[in-house]
Amino acid sequence: MPPVSPYRRGRPAELNFEDLIRPQVEYLYRLAWRFTGSVTDAEDLLQDVLLKLYPRTQEMLAIQKLRPWLAKVMHNQYVDTVRQRARSPVLELAAGGDADEDPLDKIPTTGDGPEENAERSGQRDRILAAVRQLNPEQRAIIAMHDVEGYSLEELEKMLETPIGTLKSRLHRGRQRLRALLPMEPFSVGERVKR
Amino acid sequence: MECHEFISQLDDYLDGRLDERPMRAHLNVCDDCRQQYHHAVAVQAAVRKLSPPEVHPAFVDRAIQRATRRDAAGAHPRRRALLGMALAASLVLGVATGAYLSLRAAPVQTVAMTVERPETVRMVFDSVKPLRAATLSLSLPENVEVVGFGGVRELSWQTDLREGQNLLQLPLIAHGAVKDELLAQLSHGASTKTFRVKLEVAKSGASGM
Repeated sequence: MPPVSPYRRGRPAELNFEDLIRPQVEYLYRLAWRFTGSVTDAEDLLQDVLLKLYPRTQEMLAIQKLRPWLAKVMHNQYVDTVRQRARSPVLELAAGGDADEDPLDKIPTTGDGPEENAERSGQRDRILAAVRQLNPEQRAIIAMHDVEGYSLEELEKMLETPIGTLKSRLHRGRQRLRALLPMEPFSVGERVKR
Repeated sequence: MECHEFISQLDDYLDGRLDERPMRAHLNVCDDCRQQYHHAVAVQAAVRKLSPPEVHPAFVDRAIQRATRRDAAGAHPRRRALLGMALAASLVLGVATGAYLSLRAAPVQTVAMTVERPETVRMVFDSVKPLRAATLSLSLPENVEVVGFGGVRELSWQTDLREGQNLLQLPLIAHGAVKDELLAQLSHGASTKTFRVKLEVAKSGASGM
């Protein structure tokens, strides 16, 4: 670990914290959103993480690769939050399966564009809905491995979880997504060649 | 290579963790597996392309401030005691009025509570699009109140709903036995949606759902 510079050591903790965190907030928010599948929950998770991080500002100053370390803190907080929520009453008042009939779903927003935009938006909603149906562990591994690009070996160290467990979560999560997202919408335009 | 072998190794192949030659050879001769492969790649690409709505700059400022002023702000300030960041300031009493062209109720769900024991009921409103200035109205059964709003049974306020899930946390307390419904009505423009939550308040005993 590199030593903390005298300049940093002499500054107020909140300034050091802000210098370190502000460039990472977008990354952390994106990760939180991918974990939770919701803007509201992502903001709450991010706030919880920042509260945890501030007392560790000195520790952060000495970390060379901050992002994987922050991702680990975010993941741990996410796991804690999921466990806490499992113990408290939660009501899901979602629109239900028949969203097409919901008048609120039909309210146009300014900027709604041509038909193609609406189709794209519909597809995004379908993918998002499928991701939300994964369990929290599956969402997290897909976010960190498939989207953020951490290897299973990196994640094994970061999350202190055996690689076999991670592979199993990843496999089940992907299988579920494929089952939830039928082939039809993914036409030629969505195909990506290896 | 048989199809079942190909499928069982598909994820490792996607991750570049296999000798690709036998997999490629199978892909060249099997239409079904090729289709499965393209589907898997397309789903992965689609999930990668999902991106969150932009984080609000004001949220970032506020979140950093809260983190660095933890002691001054309290042990663990909650971000959303109720829906909307500034609800406490914008809360008004009375039921929202408006022209309701349609009204459809969601399935009724039940929450069990215990008298004089505060319980936070969380509701998630799922919106496929952002809704500006939606009106949320609550109608509470007799003997039930939102903590901090003693004696008030009808609350209404305006808030913006974001795309996706919007959390409403309602700290409720019951002062007597109740077997009635809480109504949460969400209105935007000419549309209204009513959610009903059945509250069953016992005089004693454990609470839960």
